[in-house]
Amino acid sequence: MSNLEDDLDLDALLSTNHRALLLQVLSTLTGVNVELVEHADEASSPLVFNLETLAWLKAELPEAHRQAAVQLFELIMFYAGKYHLAANLHLDVTETSYIELQKQHVALQESKMRYKKLSEKLQERIDEQVKVIERAQRQLYEDARLRAIGQLAAGVAHEINTPVGYIGSNLRVASDYLRDIATNLDDGNNLETVLEDFRELLDESRSGVQRIANIVSDLRIFANIDQAEFANCELNVLLKTACHLLQAEHYQKLAIVQHLNELPKLDCYPAKLSQAFYNVLDNAAKAIGDDGVIHVESRLCGDVIEVVIGDDGCGMSQDTMARVFDPFFTTRSIGMGTGLGLSVVRDIISVHQGEIRLKSHPGQGTRVTLLFKVS
Amino acid sequence: MSEYKKNANKLIIKVVYYGPALSGKTTNLAQLYAQLRPQRKGELMVLESGDDRTLFFDMLPIGLRSNDGLDLRVKIYTVPGQIKHDSTRKALLSRVDGVVFVADSQIDQQDNNAVAFSDLADNLTKVGLDIERLPLTVQFNKRDHQDAMEKATLHEKWAETPWTPLTFASALRGEGVVESFRQLLARLYPVVNEEFNLSTRHALDSQEFVRQLSAVEEARHE
Repeated sequence: MSNLEDDLDLDALLSTNHRALLLQVLSTLTGVNVELVEHADEASSPLVFNLETLAWLKAELPEAHRQAAVQLFELIMFYAGKYHLAANLHLDVTETSYIELQKQHVALQESKMRYKKLSEKLQERIDEQVKVIERAQRQLYEDARLRAIGQLAAGVAHEINTPVGYIGSNLRVASDYLRDIATNLDDGNNLETVLEDFRELLDESRSGVQRIANIVSDLRIFANIDQAEFANCELNVLLKTACHLLQAEHYQKLAIVQHLNELPKLDCYPAKLSQAFYNVLDNAAKAIGDDGVIHVESRLCGDVIEVVIGDDGCGMSQDTMARVFDPFFTTRSIGMGTGLGLSVVRDIISVHQGEIRLKSHPGQGTRVTLLFKVS
Repeated sequence: MSEYKKNANKLIIKVVYYGPALSGKTTNLAQLYAQLRPQRKGELMVLESGDDRTLFFDMLPIGLRSNDGLDLRVKIYTVPGQIKHDSTRKALLSRVDGVVFVADSQIDQQDNNAVAFSDLADNLTKVGLDIERLPLTVQFNKRDHQDAMEKATLHEKWAETPWTPLTFASALRGEGVVESFRQLLARLYPVVNEEFNLSTRHALDSQEFVRQLSAVEEARHE
């Protein structure tokens, strides 16, 4: 490191001006001419700094006097040298520190870039994970829907089974009666009772067939088989269907009281709204247990359709209410609820620019109000 | 790195006194200045701060002239020991030829010694030198203190290192300072000799090298 060079020359130690001034002072003091020369002669003595002879001081003086002048000159050079060496070292250390700081700065910048990239990567991975979770959520909901449809199918099968059972048995008996009629026609016996019974059988069978037809019709409405995805339809019809299907699933044992007032038709997604009504009704059915009552009410208030589904079941605490719309939040044991029911209801209602209101207290039942604006 | 200026037939060797703060580096140098009578001796330059702590460095130039006119000089530096002057220490180690590590013998200073020694090794590495290959003398100073570590214990601790035997000093009393310096000169000679053929070209052997540079009685001027 060149700055640490400690062999300073005369110019570095004392400027020309100061040198001239010093020589002038010495000349005045000694009364003879004092000067610096580059080569020794008999009237000169060496000027030494750090063992290095820098010049010769020439003066026609007795040896002792010239030596005193040299000592004074050397003393001044010594102190000048101290300053210069310290300054050089300081400069050197400062430069080195600055270079190191710059290196550290570059390293910091690089590390900052690395972290930035890392954070971007992390964000990407979070986004991916969110997509995965959303896919899983939809998958779960699909599964839940399939399971619900399975339960529905079981209810429907049970419902259809009864009328089909007695229709089949009636038709068998009817065949027997026909055979009896055929034989008895000959001997003129009294056929009054047989014919009476036969008529009853046929009436009952017709009513059974009607019941089957109704169930199938309900299913068609619920599954939106006949209608366009987006249609102008009667909410009361959807409500009734949902009630029927719920009853079918609960073996007709639920107490459902309906007060359905006349409503204007609403532009809506019927299958989705049916699903929403069914989900709310299903919650009510689960809340009341065996001996509660579900009230279903619809009415028009101004240009708003109000659908109220209330129950006198177990109700909810404030904490539960705060979370019921969160996906996957459920108070039911594992396998009994997906925790998606009300979050799906909320999604469906928001698609219809509707509003959902919830009122509940533990032990006092729950009241769900769905509001739809008629355009 | 010792520096040879061919035109002037001048060889300059740099020695640095290193060690923890307040271990007595400057006192060592002041004692060398007071005791040594080498052929040539410059002024002791002390660059301390107001509180007598070394701020930049101290420097003492000494030298000899061999019979064939070789102008050999040894510049002896001290470094500031306080932790905050690390950059200065590193700068001063640049191109160093030999180091005297001045350790503090007091029991409670042993951690500071260890920190300073590893700091020396690190800084040498940073200026491209290897502590294992550099002529180095370890001096345990302040032997006059009551709670100085036992010599036997210290010897034992350092027995497996390349720097044994240790030297001991009480720099304040002027004891052991010249002996430490002589040990370093003896360790320096082979390295310098290998590079500059002191013995063959300049008829300067190890004994003469050490004697001339560390004479304590009045040197016999030729």
